[in-house]
Amino acid sequence: MWWKTLLFTWIAVFSAMALVVPVAGTFDAVRARGCGGAPYPVRATIPDPRAGVHVGNGIAVPAVDRNGNRAMLVFPAQPDGLADGRTYVVRVWADSASRLFHVASVVSIDPLWTFPYIAGLGERARIIFFHVPTAWLSVIAFLVSLWYGVSYLRRRRGEDDALSAASAGLGLLFCLLATATGSLWAKFNWGSFWNWDPRETSIFVLLLVYGAYFALRSAVEDAGKRAVLSAVYGILAFVSVPFFIFIVPRVLPGLHPGSADDTGSGPILGGGGIDMGMRVVMYALLVGFTGLFSWMLRLADRVHRLEAERGHD
Amino acid sequence: MPRTVLSLFPLRDGKRRIMTIHPALALLAKDFRGEWRTRYAVNTLLMFIVVTLSVVVFALAGETLTSGVQAGLLWVVLFFSAMNGMSRSFLSEEERGTTLTLRLLADPSAIYLGKLLFNLVLALLLNVFIVLLFLVFLEGFLIRQPGLFLAVILGGGAGVAAATTVIAAMIARAGSKGPLFPVLSFPVLLPLLMSGISATKIAMEETEWTLALPELGVLASYIAVVVAASFFLFDFVWKD
Repeated sequence: MWWKTLLFTWIAVFSAMALVVPVAGTFDAVRARGCGGAPYPVRATIPDPRAGVHVGNGIAVPAVDRNGNRAMLVFPAQPDGLADGRTYVVRVWADSASRLFHVASVVSIDPLWTFPYIAGLGERARIIFFHVPTAWLSVIAFLVSLWYGVSYLRRRRGEDDALSAASAGLGLLFCLLATATGSLWAKFNWGSFWNWDPRETSIFVLLLVYGAYFALRSAVEDAGKRAVLSAVYGILAFVSVPFFIFIVPRVLPGLHPGSADDTGSGPILGGGGIDMGMRVVMYALLVGFTGLFSWMLRLADRVHRLEAERGHD
Repeated sequence: MPRTVLSLFPLRDGKRRIMTIHPALALLAKDFRGEWRTRYAVNTLLMFIVVTLSVVVFALAGETLTSGVQAGLLWVVLFFSAMNGMSRSFLSEEERGTTLTLRLLADPSAIYLGKLLFNLVLALLLNVFIVLLFLVFLEGFLIRQPGLFLAVILGGGAGVAAATTVIAAMIARAGSKGPLFPVLSFPVLLPLLMSGISATKIAMEETEWTLALPELGVLASYIAVVVAASFFLFDFVWKD
């Protein structure tokens, strides 16, 4: 019981972090982007609020971002509680004429944690927290299914086959989730739902393998025969899957991070690697979702045992 | 290795010449003889290829195609005729009710080898025939590097035969579920198809043949891995 409480608390806490922690950039990025567009989130500390001067019907105060860049932030009115050294996440518009940053809205005051603003991604960078764990699990579930398939062929125990099928079922679920989340995201970031990037091809192959696996299972009525044939097919399919999942997306150029032509721009994968704060949340959710998978697999195993007791197959 | 006694061909006086040969070769000879008697597979496959190709030709009459599209079309025809041809190897035994006899006569590795050899010969013949028809009927189908092209087409045939023999056995065990065959084969064959298509494209263009070296490497290693895996897996499929 205790580990279930821990697991769900863990997933809830880190999912909340993944969704709630504000994304904030620096003044450089605002300057590089220029004017226009939606207001840009910036994390800035206001060391001395008393240095503020009235500009029009607002108040301009000097602020420092995380890289030490200084700029003048123009609040529409004196914000409440401007105490020394407070940190704000504000959405700002650049003003080309006066070189001031006009605050459109205050997102957060004294945030415990912020994620970096990645050019071209912004809030959409949060996909990494859910998309990566689902894609990871769709492969892990395949390996677990393969593992139980092999142990069925060695020991011929019905439970192994049930676990193998249950794991494949969960794998198919996570595979669909990874495809759906990635595809929706791609529409907004890359312009179309599907681009045949090598990673997309790999998840497509995995979907085909899962589909074929269940087509085979539904075609055979005899339980023993079904178990043997699906285990054999799982092993045979594993000949082609690693080629697509582990090799092709890394040696061919593509849109996903980690492709051959990824020059490591931006703090996602590559060059400097992923930002520390994002990395912690992503790995925590990876662990959490893997725990969720093993819990679901245990449930499937219990259902199988209970049904076997009642005399169903 | 167990050896089997097989009467290969009857002599004129009605007596049979007795030979000892490896059971895999005996199975291969049996399959060829069975095929020679009915010519069922050959006739069906030839007609299938002609039908498929005429659809392609009707649809594309007068069009000029890039070598990429031509390579893709060639592989579509190669894949689906292989799907028709390869599935028969074990289904025919089920249809004739000879599976149990085979199981008694020889050990699984010999059965697998015999069927693999038969499928290999069939796949190579199929591929050569398809390419010949493409050359005759598809205008603008030019092979600029014949050596590379031949290597890819024959290697592709060998790969298809290697990967699908054990799947054909699975289909036969699954209660002769023929339509399942391409569904199961496609994900397993994809690395072969992708490297085959891209190597074919290179062979049809005027480029360095060395550009296709990675594809040929994938092809060779794919065949090795698939044959090794199915050699061990066949035991489980074949035995009850």
